[in-house]
Amino acid sequence: MTTIFCASAGMEGFWRKRRGGSYRIPIPAQVFMRYETSKQKASSFLRNTIADPAAKVFVLIALSFASPAQAVIADQVERMSVAGVDLIVYPTAVKQVVTIRGALPAGDAFAGQGNLAVPTLTGMMLDHGTMKRDKYAIAELLEDVGASVTFNVDGQTLGIQAKSLKKDLPVVISLIAEQLRAPAFSPVEFELVRKQFIGAMKGQVENVGYRTSEAFSRAVFPVGHPNRSPSLEELIAAAQSVTMAEVKAFHRQHYGPLHMTLVVVGDVDAIQVKREVARGFKGWQGGVDYLVATDAPAPLSAGEEAVRLAEKTSVSILLGQPTGLRYRDTDALALRVGTAILGSGFTGRLMATIRDKEGMTYGINARMSDDTFNDGSWTISATFAPQMLEDGVESARRELLRWWSAGVTQKELDDRKQNLIGSFQVGLATTRGIADTLLQTVLRGYDIGWLDRYPEAVAALTREQVNAAIREHLDPHKMILVKAGTLPEKALMPAE
Amino acid sequence: MADVSRRENQSQMSFRIRAAWPLMVLALVGSSPGCSPATAKAGVSQDFHKVRSVGDIEEYRLQTNGLTILLARDASAPVVSFNITYRVGSRNEVTGTTGAAHLLEHLMFKGSNQHNKPDGTSLDQYLERVGAGYNASTSPDRTNYYATLGHDHLDGYIAIEADRMRHLWLREEDRSAEMAVVRNEFERGKNDPGTLLWEEVMAATYQASPYHHPTIGWRSDIEQIPIEKIRAFYDTYYWPNNATVIVVGDFETEDVLYTIGKHYGAYPRSPQPIPKIYTEEPEQSGARRVTVKRPGQLGSLMIVHKVPDARNDDHAALTVLDGILGAGKSARLYRALVDTGLALNVWSDTFGLHDSSVHILGAELAPGATHEQVERILLAEVEKIKRDGVTAAEVDRVKQQTLAKEAYRRDGTAGVAAVLSEYTAVGDWTLYRRLPSQIAKVTSADVQRMAKNWLDEDRGTTGWYVPKPNKEIGS
Repeated sequence: MTTIFCASAGMEGFWRKRRGGSYRIPIPAQVFMRYETSKQKASSFLRNTIADPAAKVFVLIALSFASPAQAVIADQVERMSVAGVDLIVYPTAVKQVVTIRGALPAGDAFAGQGNLAVPTLTGMMLDHGTMKRDKYAIAELLEDVGASVTFNVDGQTLGIQAKSLKKDLPVVISLIAEQLRAPAFSPVEFELVRKQFIGAMKGQVENVGYRTSEAFSRAVFPVGHPNRSPSLEELIAAAQSVTMAEVKAFHRQHYGPLHMTLVVVGDVDAIQVKREVARGFKGWQGGVDYLVATDAPAPLSAGEEAVRLAEKTSVSILLGQPTGLRYRDTDALALRVGTAILGSGFTGRLMATIRDKEGMTYGINARMSDDTFNDGSWTISATFAPQMLEDGVESARRELLRWWSAGVTQKELDDRKQNLIGSFQVGLATTRGIADTLLQTVLRGYDIGWLDRYPEAVAALTREQVNAAIREHLDPHKMILVKAGTLPEKALMPAE
Repeated sequence: MADVSRRENQSQMSFRIRAAWPLMVLALVGSSPGCSPATAKAGVSQDFHKVRSVGDIEEYRLQTNGLTILLARDASAPVVSFNITYRVGSRNEVTGTTGAAHLLEHLMFKGSNQHNKPDGTSLDQYLERVGAGYNASTSPDRTNYYATLGHDHLDGYIAIEADRMRHLWLREEDRSAEMAVVRNEFERGKNDPGTLLWEEVMAATYQASPYHHPTIGWRSDIEQIPIEKIRAFYDTYYWPNNATVIVVGDFETEDVLYTIGKHYGAYPRSPQPIPKIYTEEPEQSGARRVTVKRPGQLGSLMIVHKVPDARNDDHAALTVLDGILGAGKSARLYRALVDTGLALNVWSDTFGLHDSSVHILGAELAPGATHEQVERILLAEVEKIKRDGVTAAEVDRVKQQTLAKEAYRRDGTAGVAAVLSEYTAVGDWTLYRRLPSQIAKVTSADVQRMAKNWLDEDRGTTGWYVPKPNKEIGS
């Protein structure tokens, strides 16, 4: 699941040392950040954001928890099929700004038995020229007006991200259509992209977070499962042998409007957006559906994986298991809220105990992920100094077991519900927040009205439901532990 | 929320807004929950002085103690971003106390007299319960604490912020535990090639200036700084007259000023003047080079030049120079290095600081490219600008990008608050308005002059990150 970030090279803020956030690096080099998108998908609504022009009205309703469901967001959204594209438009109160998010099924998992690098390389080729204009013309079209269009490839999707001023929206929509439909596939550009891909993969070899995620995915999902990551070795080898013909064939076979979603939020007029999308995508055909796993993960069995890297001052770990749950499954909401009580924010049990009280780590959290299209996974992630690794893992296991055995308290559940409503409100502030949330909502298989029903669904959760979901779907005694970094000798010994 | 009601009782402060609102109006104005506006405001004694308005931002001063307040109203969503910026950072540290500002930032979450974990009233407990997005950060010039939350919860948050301004616990047991947390943050940074190289280059760029020290500190200082020195640091710098409160979002001006006065008005000015930094970086008289070797697959390099402080007018033209060299696929460095397969990324940025600032050119090398090759091409692009200048079209492109960024920044409240905090840190928050208008006037000749004046080889420091083989993957 290679995620491409065609990020700008902004370095603003890299001086900062944050208490709980990331430490920006001077090299804006994380062009390829594995799992970043997956994490976002998997994060519960506790961290997702929702923006809304009728924000105040919505929040008042959301805060009144017990009131019957009201279609406040759904009423503001226009959803329609335009030239085969599932188009969602949400006008907000922001001035001038428009944010676009989109997706279609063309992610890494669609490589199937073919070359593993093909889906990502196909996505990378989109901004390297079209049949109408070369990459410089594309860049100038956008950069001359401060707009941006980027694509990323993750496990199942080709993601589309765009931002522009209102006046430039027709150009941006037209360009997205052109890039998706008619990439130039220039041989010269293909060699360049191939080289960039290999370089980016080599850059991840020393990234302990990436290596932990890669190893965990391969430990819990079987070969052929859409959630299973290719290894760096496999990806690099695939990129070295890939041909342009394979990339062209992949584009022909997988790119199309059939299961494509486009979300447009901000200072927009729905009629104008509809017109531009119709113009840009008219006559386009094809596309495939998202993949559903045919092979279930192996039966749970405790184990350890070690990725040994020299001269690393901090070790990254993941402890977890597959859940057997998709995001929208009945028990998933209860388990997500329970998981947030264990491992979300500074008051989550893991941070409150292992960071705040014991001082063992800069960051430790728990989350559910990779569950948009298939049964996902549940993990605790953390970093520890090599000499504190053993004690840190022991503390994580202790808190996990305590949470799993005794469950959450009523106060914890009540506080987390309040947190959720507040997060809803805070998320109302940006076009990006609502665009991301609308896209994830439909990819997860919900209708838009789910966002209006969501507060009540959370409010209705009982402590018994949450604790039952934890016990039903997790087993701390059978979880996989993955460590990446410079491991002390003792940590290299297999688990008993 | 017990903590909110308790705080109301402790502070029957009131206020007067000298320039803007008659008292009669204030008495009639409603307030957010948590305040009891009409009665509490009746006994006015605090005195807010409206200093100026620049664009849609108003500056006030709480005259009793010198606290600065910046307000920017935006009622498009019922949220507020609150940011308190202390004008102290790693710039104010010396050998033995490096990392103190950052470690103190962490300790600010360990509890204060009225708001702490044992009582169930800590900042984390309050802000997470109300669903706020919040954090804190430390830079060379400032330390800031911030949250974005529903406007109904602002009063409770300001009460906690105010309490920890002067009533922080600062216990040895907390320092001991948090030191290890910060040390892991330090260790995570050392895993990262970019961070490693950056810190080495900055240590070579600055010899006398405190910008020589990494903001997170040197490891031995992080581990061993005694709690007494952190206490002294806190007691020197954490006062209202060394702080700026920034509020952006959906609020009524009179209400938010009332709330700020209620919670911060109890404090006096610092008993001693805030210490001035008088150390100046001496003139550099020759090129400097550093090399970092660690296991890895990819090399990188950066070239740093000192430029004037962030308040200097040259920063407008430097911003345009950076756009032309490094922003997007149209940029010159991108075409010269990424398009040719020699680099995976390139960048050109200027970091405006309170004192002598830095301009940075950098590249992450593609497999097979050499440092010598990439450095030569990168410098050749700079030389082209010195010799031939830039086109009007390039300048216009960056100007349009600046205009768009201004609009994007207003999509939400946190972005505006963060930028105001950064400009506060460098000594002039009006740069928020001034810089874009200066950029609009930049000419091609200005851009060429920047390259000639500041990107001088003899005043630069070049750093190479050279990977050592670890585990070979691919070829």
